[in-house]
Amino acid sequence: MNLKEQFNSMEMDDILLMCIHQEQQAIELYTLAKNQAKNENSRQKFQELIEMETVHKVALQNFEIEHYIDLPPADLKVTDYLMEPVLSGNMTTQEIIILAAKREDKTAKMYQDLADHFATEKELNTFFQMMADEELRHKHNLETEYENEFLQEG
Amino acid sequence: MIREQPISFNTVPMKERLTIQRQSMPEQDPNIRNGNFLEVNLGLTPAQAVLEAQRCIECKKPTCMDGCPVNIKIPDFIQLICNQDFIGAAQKIKEDNSLPAICGRVCPQESQCEEVCVMGRRFEPVAIGRLERFVADYAMNNSNGAADSFQKPEPSSQKVAIVGSGPAGLAVASDLAKEGHAVTIFEALHEFGGVLVYGIPEFRLPKAILRKEVATLEAVGVKFVKNFIVGRTMTIQELMHEEGFDAVFLGLGAGLPRFMNIPGENLNGVYSANEFLTRSNLMRGYDFPEWDTPLYRAKHAIIVGGGNTAMDAVRTAKRLGAEEASIVYRRSEEEMPARNEEIHHAKEEGVKFMNLVNPIEFIGDDQGSVVAARCLRMELGEPDESGRRRPVPMQDSEFIMDVDMVVIAVGNGSNPLISQTTPEIETNKWGNIVADEDGRTSMEGVFAGGDIVSGGATVILAMGAGRKAAIAMNQYLKAKVGSFA
Repeated sequence: MNLKEQFNSMEMDDILLMCIHQEQQAIELYTLAKNQAKNENSRQKFQELIEMETVHKVALQNFEIEHYIDLPPADLKVTDYLMEPVLSGNMTTQEIIILAAKREDKTAKMYQDLADHFATEKELNTFFQMMADEELRHKHNLETEYENEFLQEG
Repeated sequence: MIREQPISFNTVPMKERLTIQRQSMPEQDPNIRNGNFLEVNLGLTPAQAVLEAQRCIECKKPTCMDGCPVNIKIPDFIQLICNQDFIGAAQKIKEDNSLPAICGRVCPQESQCEEVCVMGRRFEPVAIGRLERFVADYAMNNSNGAADSFQKPEPSSQKVAIVGSGPAGLAVASDLAKEGHAVTIFEALHEFGGVLVYGIPEFRLPKAILRKEVATLEAVGVKFVKNFIVGRTMTIQELMHEEGFDAVFLGLGAGLPRFMNIPGENLNGVYSANEFLTRSNLMRGYDFPEWDTPLYRAKHAIIVGGGNTAMDAVRTAKRLGAEEASIVYRRSEEEMPARNEEIHHAKEEGVKFMNLVNPIEFIGDDQGSVVAARCLRMELGEPDESGRRRPVPMQDSEFIMDVDMVVIAVGNGSNPLISQTTPEIETNKWGNIVADEDGRTSMEGVFAGGDIVSGGATVILAMGAGRKAAIAMNQYLKAKVGSFA
């Protein structure tokens, strides 16, 4: 069964559940990183990321497709060319933001691919487009934070 | 409170004042100075200073004072210059700013006092910074210490430790010494001045000026201890509980270099601005082999960034003999945070500006030395929160250029040593110390100010924070004595 057939055979609720699962995995990853982090500031940053993903998860749980009207944010590409840090207990805030932005970028691309794949299936296309935009919005927020703090160019 | 108008010594009729041209400061020829480390600006002459002071129209509500982070009584000192009382003018400035010779050189007056000067609405603003520098230099060379004299207070018997001898620490030391407290400054390096000595090149701020300011503080009783790393040599707790310091001020600055996190930043020939400038300024690498520290002399150096640190680094690289020294900045010149004067001087000296370009990789040879930079061309998008338009990469714009030295000047963070060794002191997620408006930290008796609290900012803002903290520390120390009594 190819991807299109697989998604076509799923109900919208099942697709939502799959996405909720994806968000839950992110929450678990950041929770693990938070527990390993050796300083309070890193723990705080991971906590922020957990909260961000939790908001996303809750939004998916309460999802109603007709309410989706948001426009996608600009992709700043600030972290696209940066090296991906390895998850560890000694990460700096700078590394945590890069890691998280790259994760959001990858997820956004995955949803965008799915949206493109279902270009002719209105409901699925809208849903995956919304998910891609949402991930891109997270990336945008992280990159804005990165720019403000780490690219002061002083 | 209504401010008393200073006595006017300006004999020039008001209409004529408007016709006096803003006085240009003599400076070294660009083609000569780009081969030496002597100061670029040579300072106003006494006649020029008086003429410039006579441009002041003596506003009833002098907005210039509001533009100064330490509220120097600008109209008052300008009137004293009109009266040719240059030492009196320096004394007037020193009531609010203990380092006028430094601030007169490195303050961004164009975005502070001069930006709000009423003259500037129709004409050029009064050159307040140049006047400040002139009187400070004049007093330093002619007053024999009279400009720094003050009534010595009764010793308070209380000890204050200041960690870091940068602008914030020096400002606190000056104010608390005047209150009679026994002040000791602990400096990690072997010279005093913090960023003023390791960060700002000789051609912008001669070290001799800084040494004179330090000597002035020593003369009023401030004790200076060098090669002492608080957090390593001794912790804050040890200073307070074993050495008997009643209060501590943390003015460590933001000296932790930040990198871009792109591939190739660990190649030979890629420096942080902090290392490059420290080698040149503090260790006098430009004088190698007379001085011990070597400094690579590049053919084509690129400096990544657009702030004053980037300008200092690129002008240093040029002076070290680079055939081509270029600024690589991902936004346009309009968005550059560097002072206009520094950009102008850099251009005059032959620095090349590659704006809207961003490196994404540094490429090395088989010896591990940098030989090229892979870059992207950028274009400006929507404005960000600061109002600057955001740069975004242009499609298919990648190119490679040959370079043999790279200096990364994208900003600095705070040193983590204090937060690692003194967990009682709260820091934010960026590692900056959390302090209230008066510099109080979460640890009793410990205050902080300057870049370690605010992140990288200006010398005068650090001094302003230091002065506020000094007032709070003095109150704290007095209350402490009171509670013992």
